[in-house]
Amino acid sequence: MSVSGKAAIAGIGATEFSKESGRSELRLAVEACLEAIRDAGLEPSDVDGLVTYAADTSSEIAVQRELGIPGLRFFSRVDYGGGAACGTVAHAAMAVSTGQADVVVCYRAFNERSGHRFGQANSSARADSTGLEFSWHLPYGFATPAAWVAMQARRYMHEYGATGEDFGRVAVAMRRHAATNPRAWFHGRPITLEEHQTSRWIVDPLRLLDCCQESDGGVALVVTSVERARDLPRPPAVVTAAAQGTGPDQMMMFGYYTGDLAALPAMGRVGRTLWWQSGLTPGDIRTAILYDHFTPFVLIQLEELGFCGRGEAKDYVKDGGIELDGRLPVNPNGGQLGEAYIHGMNGVAEAVRQIRGASVNQLDGVEHVLVTAGTGVPTSGLILSALP
Amino acid sequence: MTTTQEAAAEPSVHDRLTELAGRLAAAGERPAPPCPDAVNTAMIRNWTQALGDSGDWSRVAPPAMIQVWSMPGLVSEKGGSAADEVLRLLDESGYTGVVATNCEQTYDRYVRAGEHLRPAMRFGGLAGPKKTAMGEGYFVTWYQTWYDEDDRRVAEMLFRVLKFRPRKRRAGAAKPVKPATSLDTAFFWEGAKAGELRIQRCADCGRLRHPPGPMCPSCHSLERDHIVASGRGVVHSYVVHHHPPVPGRTPPFVVAVVELEEGVRVVGNVLRCDPDDVTIGMPVRVTFEDVDDDLTLPQWIPADAPDDEPPPHPEEPALLEIPLTPTFVIATALATRDFTPVHHDTALARAQGTKDIFLNILTTMGLVQRAALTVAPGAVLESISVRLGVPAYAGDTLRLYAERADATTLTVRGAVSLGDHVTATVKLKETP
Repeated sequence: MSVSGKAAIAGIGATEFSKESGRSELRLAVEACLEAIRDAGLEPSDVDGLVTYAADTSSEIAVQRELGIPGLRFFSRVDYGGGAACGTVAHAAMAVSTGQADVVVCYRAFNERSGHRFGQANSSARADSTGLEFSWHLPYGFATPAAWVAMQARRYMHEYGATGEDFGRVAVAMRRHAATNPRAWFHGRPITLEEHQTSRWIVDPLRLLDCCQESDGGVALVVTSVERARDLPRPPAVVTAAAQGTGPDQMMMFGYYTGDLAALPAMGRVGRTLWWQSGLTPGDIRTAILYDHFTPFVLIQLEELGFCGRGEAKDYVKDGGIELDGRLPVNPNGGQLGEAYIHGMNGVAEAVRQIRGASVNQLDGVEHVLVTAGTGVPTSGLILSALP
Repeated sequence: MTTTQEAAAEPSVHDRLTELAGRLAAAGERPAPPCPDAVNTAMIRNWTQALGDSGDWSRVAPPAMIQVWSMPGLVSEKGGSAADEVLRLLDESGYTGVVATNCEQTYDRYVRAGEHLRPAMRFGGLAGPKKTAMGEGYFVTWYQTWYDEDDRRVAEMLFRVLKFRPRKRRAGAAKPVKPATSLDTAFFWEGAKAGELRIQRCADCGRLRHPPGPMCPSCHSLERDHIVASGRGVVHSYVVHHHPPVPGRTPPFVVAVVELEEGVRVVGNVLRCDPDDVTIGMPVRVTFEDVDDDLTLPQWIPADAPDDEPPPHPEEPALLEIPLTPTFVIATALATRDFTPVHHDTALARAQGTKDIFLNILTTMGLVQRAALTVAPGAVLESISVRLGVPAYAGDTLRLYAERADATTLTVRGAVSLGDHVTATVKLKETP
């Protein structure tokens, strides 16, 4: 028994992506939710479940109140930052496939650029278990996501001979895709590898253009049963596989103490679950949405998910390998490096558009799209499919 | 809404500042409070003794003393400057931080004992808002001028400060973040205070583990003790942090995962090593960084680094090396008639957020003059133009370097352990 094939994403909604929304985070959340509900051809009164990130500042009941939803039967939160993205859909799919809810809206909305910026230094540690993890690092000024990722990136370079240029190719691909996406912050602004190589150091070996942008905005998704979705106006994006995962000795982005730093074992576990649930193989995936908060982890994800072998991603991304006309187009929307940083939720929406055939950078013959969530943290993933 | 309309009708802070600055500039020069005393040999002697200046000042006063003659002394009412109104408006508008950035003195001629000087002042200008390392702020400039009894100008001084909105977090200024501790982790931090790198050991199966926790993941025992690690290890991976600013560390700095010879890994900074020289596999050894009375951090240095920290500036020997004893800081402040408490009252200085009492600017000007005349004995100064850097705190050592840029120009630099305290250009008069 698995969750495969029982639920579908029937609606997507989003605010504009900006650097300063000028609106409350709750307002962004409900704007995105209402658009997703309408996109699915439903009304707020049809919604009986809400799921968001543990990190979201707008509670399920606050969103319920604004939308005038009479009552919820299912509500849950998924923890660990951007690792929650696909997990919200996994929770919603479990709820609708077990009858705990009929229509679940997953949402993520924040003023991550104009309000609390995740890229700034963490400057206090709580005494809970997560705070204790931070406490082994913050006193050393080891205090930003870029730094935490850079530590693994350096070891990856050491083990496999990857270079800053290999990371740069990911950034160039994402900015190329964003350049033709009018919703993207970097619409019309592609970059060259030279520009990447001369951008300033953030945390060596990561340069400015290895780091995703910071954004204000919200994205919401409507999840319901495949049966119900068939009767709704939009082509359903069927949840063929949905998985969460952690690795051995898992920490919140500090996986340095045991095992291989040049790997993302939590994503490896998610990948194995996705392939097992779906019965698919990497060759069945037309396009992948890989969480691109920092370029090196796109390379390691390609390896963890089996698109290439260990250490081979640097060759896989050469010659436009992950660009629109490459062997595996990654993030046709431009990803978080190019479109916006909505904690991975905008990537799920792009996967749905690719299934619908409605993306601005639409690929042909899309049957299956693989989506991942934040890496370095406990994470999650999805395979979405068109109806056969 | 009326409140919105009122807000709209109210001119912005910037507009008010611009208007005020324009008005002050248009007002031109006005008299400053008179000098309390004529130029006199007693004050000159106090000054030369306090600053350690052994020059011959029997016929004229040291030029860098010029501002001393108009200092009001220990009085309740301050003389004020031509920029006071602007400074007050900036304070009220949230630009509460202040740091002096420039002081430029031009000497038309040296003054002699017995002369009565007449000071005047005028507003210079306002520039901003500008983004600076301290925070957003405005540069405010004003002038002071001294005339002799024939109304001829003898000297002029430009003074510039940055008034800034203090940042919530100041780069490198705040202390490192304190770790949260629990009953499971406190032994590690207590060990660091005792100079021990403690690694948790399962008291039943002997497995070593870092970071520590309450249950052995191998045998599920709740019994634990610790070993004291040898402190030797190798760099397993590392990063060089450049951006953004983080509390307690000055970029670029290195963070490394160190694999101990006991087989567990620990995160820390690699100190006393150029970031460019750090490599994976590099042998390192532990050292202990005392952050304050409550926190000691295990840190890492190259295995072959000497035990004693080398001086931060091992470069060429300084022209003048001045130990900044409290006596020196206080005596020079008083000899320059500067009674601001941050230059003599340690407790009050600390209460205001500085590390200790520190050298006043009038003394810095005098020491730049002293350095210049050591390199160019007998020269006559035309001007001293300084850019001010980090404070020179009591307990530190001020090292002055001077060199000739050309026949009439000297550059002077004064460094303390925190970095450059002053960089100056000194112009000499053409020797006839």
